[in-house]
Amino acid sequence: MDAFIRYMTDQIEAGKAEIARLENDGCQDDADFAKVRTNIYEVCNTVTDALIRRPGAGTEAIRVQFERFHTTWGAALDSAREHNDTRNIVIGEIKLQALEDVTAHFAEAVK
Amino acid sequence: MTQENALKIFKSLSDMSRLRIIQSLTRGEMYTELIAERLGLTPSTVSFHMKKLEEAGLVVSRKEQYYTVYSLNRNVLEASLFDVAAAEPEQIDEQQKREIEYRQKVIDFFFEYGKLKAIPVQRKKKLICYEVIAERFVPGKVYSEKELNDIIAPIHEDYCTIRRDMIGEGILGRNGSEYVRLK
Repeated sequence: MDAFIRYMTDQIEAGKAEIARLENDGCQDDADFAKVRTNIYEVCNTVTDALIRRPGAGTEAIRVQFERFHTTWGAALDSAREHNDTRNIVIGEIKLQALEDVTAHFAEAVK
Repeated sequence: MTQENALKIFKSLSDMSRLRIIQSLTRGEMYTELIAERLGLTPSTVSFHMKKLEEAGLVVSRKEQYYTVYSLNRNVLEASLFDVAAAEPEQIDEQQKREIEYRQKVIDFFFEYGKLKAIPVQRKKKLICYEVIAERFVPGKVYSEKELNDIIAPIHEDYCTIRRDMIGEGILGRNGSEYVRLK
């Protein structure tokens, strides 16, 4: 689990650096998208931190919560695609991509 | 060209990714996937940027089988910076402009993909939302209650409240079991 927490912290730090780089390069919209990605790592990190401390919760509770995120964000992405909402399509894809990365590393950590 | 169009042009160009897209398109027309590959962006990110460029009138698109092909709108790009900067504001008074902006803000907040997320509590906002819903009705056409409900229900589950409110606000008129749009 330590390796997972470390991975998440590294992703958050790398995300912040990427945001700064994009803002510096004048790519404001792409920087905003990088903020969305970084925020997903922050949210998942917070959830992990809270559930790992909660008595009776643990890794299964974390896995369930990640699955809930996947369902909700997947539905939002489908809806955005259905309405050709380009901004929310990008945001939805970024969120799901980041979440899939998080869940893959989480599964590895609890193996 | 109006000052509003000029602002859209400047805003859409003040982003390095979009500037790089424009630069790529100077070599010829391209489709989303190719631009994405060349610039190291995802296709959906490119689509997002293309929409902004298209709204500013800087690029035009056409469908070609499965692809959307983009090219530069030379009419706009060949205008001098002087002409763009000298564009006059649209002939609309400030009060009217503020009202239009407020109305759009309310619509964007309360509607998502044509569905009403919640019935506003504030009357002014509620009226704006109901006016939007009223656009689904043909003025003068007589609707049965079922027809009316069938139109409102997909917008918000509490179609009874909305129907009653719209009658109360004089947006819809009721004669027995027949309804007609008044405003």
